Amino acid sequence: MKRLVLAVCAAALLTACGEQGEAPTSGVEQQDAAARSAPNPLNNAYFGDLHLHTRNSFDAYIFNVRASPDEAYAYAKGGTIKHATGFDMKLNSGPLDFLAVTDHSEYLGVLPAIDTPGDPYASVPYAKDLFSKDPKQVNTAFRKFGDAVRTGQRMPEFADLRTVKSAWHDIIESANRNYEPGKFTTLIGYEFTSAPEGRNLHRNVIFSGATAPELPYTALESQNPEDLWNWMEQQRAAGMESLSITHNGNGSDGTMYERTKWNGAPVDRAWAELRARNEPLAEITQVKGTSETHPLLSPNDEFAGFEIMEWYIGSTTPITKFDGGYVRKALKDGMEFQARLGANPYKFGFVGASDTHNGAGSYEEDNYHSKVGIQDASPERRGSAPPEGKDWTTYKPVDNTARFSTWGASGLTGVWAPENTREAIYAALQRKETFATSGPRIRVRFFAGYGIGASPLTSDEGVKSAYANGVAMGADLVGKADGSPDFLVMAMRDAHSAPLQRLQIVKGWVDAAGKAQEKVFDVGCSDGGTINPATHRCADNGATVDVKTCAYSQDKGDAEISAVWKDPEFDPKLNALYYVRVLENPTCRWSTWDAIRLGIEPNPALQKTIQERAYTSPIWFIPVKAS
Amino acid sequence: MTSGVTGFLKRAAREPLVHFLTIGAALFVLNGLINGPDQGPESDTIIISEGRVRQIAESFVLLSGRPPSREELQALVDDFVSEEVGYREAVAMGLDADDTIVRRRMRQKIEFVIEDGAASESPTDAQLQARLDANPDIYRQPERRALRQVLLSADKRGAAARVDAEAALAQLRDGADPAKLGDGSMLPAALPLTTQDGVSAMFGAEFASAAFAHAAAQNDRDWFGPIASPFGQHVLLVIDISPGRAVALPEVVDRLRADWIEAQRNAARDAFHARMRERFKIEIEWPEPWKSLPQTPDPNPKTRPTPEVGE
Repeated sequence: MKRLVLAVCAAALLTACGEQGEAPTSGVEQQDAAARSAPNPLNNAYFGDLHLHTRNSFDAYIFNVRASPDEAYAYAKGGTIKHATGFDMKLNSGPLDFLAVTDHSEYLGVLPAIDTPGDPYASVPYAKDLFSKDPKQVNTAFRKFGDAVRTGQRMPEFADLRTVKSAWHDIIESANRNYEPGKFTTLIGYEFTSAPEGRNLHRNVIFSGATAPELPYTALESQNPEDLWNWMEQQRAAGMESLSITHNGNGSDGTMYERTKWNGAPVDRAWAELRARNEPLAEITQVKGTSETHPLLSPNDEFAGFEIMEWYIGSTTPITKFDGGYVRKALKDGMEFQARLGANPYKFGFVGASDTHNGAGSYEEDNYHSKVGIQDASPERRGSAPPEGKDWTTYKPVDNTARFSTWGASGLTGVWAPENTREAIYAALQRKETFATSGPRIRVRFFAGYGIGASPLTSDEGVKSAYANGVAMGADLVGKADGSPDFLVMAMRDAHSAPLQRLQIVKGWVDAAGKAQEKVFDVGCSDGGTINPATHRCADNGATVDVKTCAYSQDKGDAEISAVWKDPEFDPKLNALYYVRVLENPTCRWSTWDAIRLGIEPNPALQKTIQERAYTSPIWFIPVKAS
Repeated sequence: MTSGVTGFLKRAAREPLVHFLTIGAALFVLNGLINGPDQGPESDTIIISEGRVRQIAESFVLLSGRPPSREELQALVDDFVSEEVGYREAVAMGLDADDTIVRRRMRQKIEFVIEDGAASESPTDAQLQARLDANPDIYRQPERRALRQVLLSADKRGAAARVDAEAALAQLRDGADPAKLGDGSMLPAALPLTTQDGVSAMFGAEFASAAFAHAAAQNDRDWFGPIASPFGQHVLLVIDISPGRAVALPEVVDRLRADWIEAQRNAARDAFHARMRERFKIEIEWPEPWKSLPQTPDPNPKTRPTPEVGE
């Protein structure tokens, strides 16, 4: 019985639980039945990870990761499993509510097969080199796989897909075996690993039910995501429902959210609809940095420079193009497409994930093991400690260390669902009633509607009224001829992380000239602070962190902040979107925790503290047509 | 010839084993010269069967997408012959003994065989019941409690939250309606039966241990507190307790079976190693710096090159 049951009674159970108290039940069956409470019509927040790799992924196996899907589920349920280098990994803030194991579908299970004596694949000529102690040999042999994934050409020696099929079958079986309705949800999924010329176009494909196609559709069939969506449509027609989530776009060098199709032709209506139908969600944060926005794309957003990662995936090639890699810009572009084409390809909600290759997500700054097994297992490898005998004055990171140092302890997907079942969680993903966090379990509600401002979200009646008379995150608000809608926001801190500092609403809109604009409004301040009407910013709450101990202000920030807001610049004729960003007080970054534990100075090139945050899926405002 | 190989040969030239093998090989060659090449037992014959040749041809098809020509196949078969001859001679000379990869593969193979034998048995219900009886704590259902709580928010009341909570406690004990007391919050006002871990995940450890330390509810006015949490001060009522209990076999049979098979594998592997170790006397010559230390994991493990895709 973990956090699920906790949350189960938000409102409806006020009475249900009371009745239980007055007439206590006895007997095993009745007790277990009581544990699976009635669904909450006002929805509970559930936290999970939709992007995680195990030993079945070709790269994870080379990183010495041996954790199986069963072990990944055991960890997510609060258990302890081993890291590739032998130490124990366990979540400090309790189990997750749901998890999808999403191994790379390309060469799925092939590396473990090569490393299994007697397996036909064990006889490939470079088998010995792959598992050699000489890094040069490993690199040369492994590059064959890297090249084959980058070019989309299947290596002929693995043309027989029996191994892939059997690994995929095991993944499905493991998901079904570990599903505990009402307590822990598993989702069947995989990662479609398209990376033309190294630009990351990966997607996580998540299935709704207990079955999945015999084989995943991979980038070795086609690197073009359109072909993936068409395959998903075929599967859907055959009764196999799935959705696709774009990988954190920051490593795509501007290609994840382009203004053209794969063949270079301009986006058209059919393409926009196909994409929107199959990709309702975008990963906005994970270990490899955040993709909300980049300081160069949002120069007026002073909180934009958060956990920015500016490299290609698995490479030290720097990113040069940010437009097309970040979700805020894509959401704005989407509204421009909507105006021009009558369809919006980039109408997506947000999720957070780890993308861990350790079989175990690293979400907590003070409990960080990064994500690529043996490669970033030590502080020295990930740039939070200088090599032995050296100090920071002469420090020059080698190989991938600079890149790893910009990775972070992130992230989680929150969903609002009536109960913790596959059906309820998948439906919440599909309708985008989701939020993403940079790791902490910050809960945040967000509604918009006309005349709903009189009932704030601080009571169950307020939430009930908001659902009845407004729309929740991920939905459209259809405009009225006059009046301005109310926006209701409420967020609650994670008991295991810092208090909250402020609530913000990020607005994007298309101006009268057809050009997309953006602006960030503070809408709720901690510590009784007020918002400056000219700058739309809360007064500084003065929260600080002692970077020698990582102790943070105990008397600053709030446990909960709620707000009722009206857009001061609202124009009922213009298309707009609104999403919430919640900021915590500053806390130590993982690299500072590493340094404190080693008794050394933190790396001066890295941020010492960060402001953890949560982002809700947007609400889109659709103006009423002038008649 | 690389300098590494030269160095290896120089070192090898000083090894007694190499002296022995070299002399043996010289005698073997001498014997061949004197008695002729055809002399020798049947086991020295290497037959490349039709099936093997077909297999070689098929791997060519896999790689190139077409059948090999006669010349190509000849070259592949010749290469296989060289491999076979080389392998037999290498094993005969004991060269496999010092090869890390070969050693690791052999160990994997033998462990695989041993573990597979152990895992192929299917446990009986009696064996599963015995496992359950021997490990009651692992499979135990933990205690769960259903609670009601009233929050006096620290955000709203600051230091006064504590005094206000005392006042609320007194009112609740007098029968006041909990729904009319305290501050609005995203925290649930009531929790269904929940474990201590579950309570801790949302309210923090201090709140959870207080909620589970309180004696069982006597009546619906047995409110207690105030209990502090990161949200403020709480007044609590325990409304139901589901005591921790041992489980019956059918409830955990799948988990027991998986654990039993895993345990069998481990036991078979450990027993095998123990049996094998009995046949040897093992002496480890610890170098000076490690002589008195327990073994610790390598803080900075061996690096691996970064693949240029994935992550």
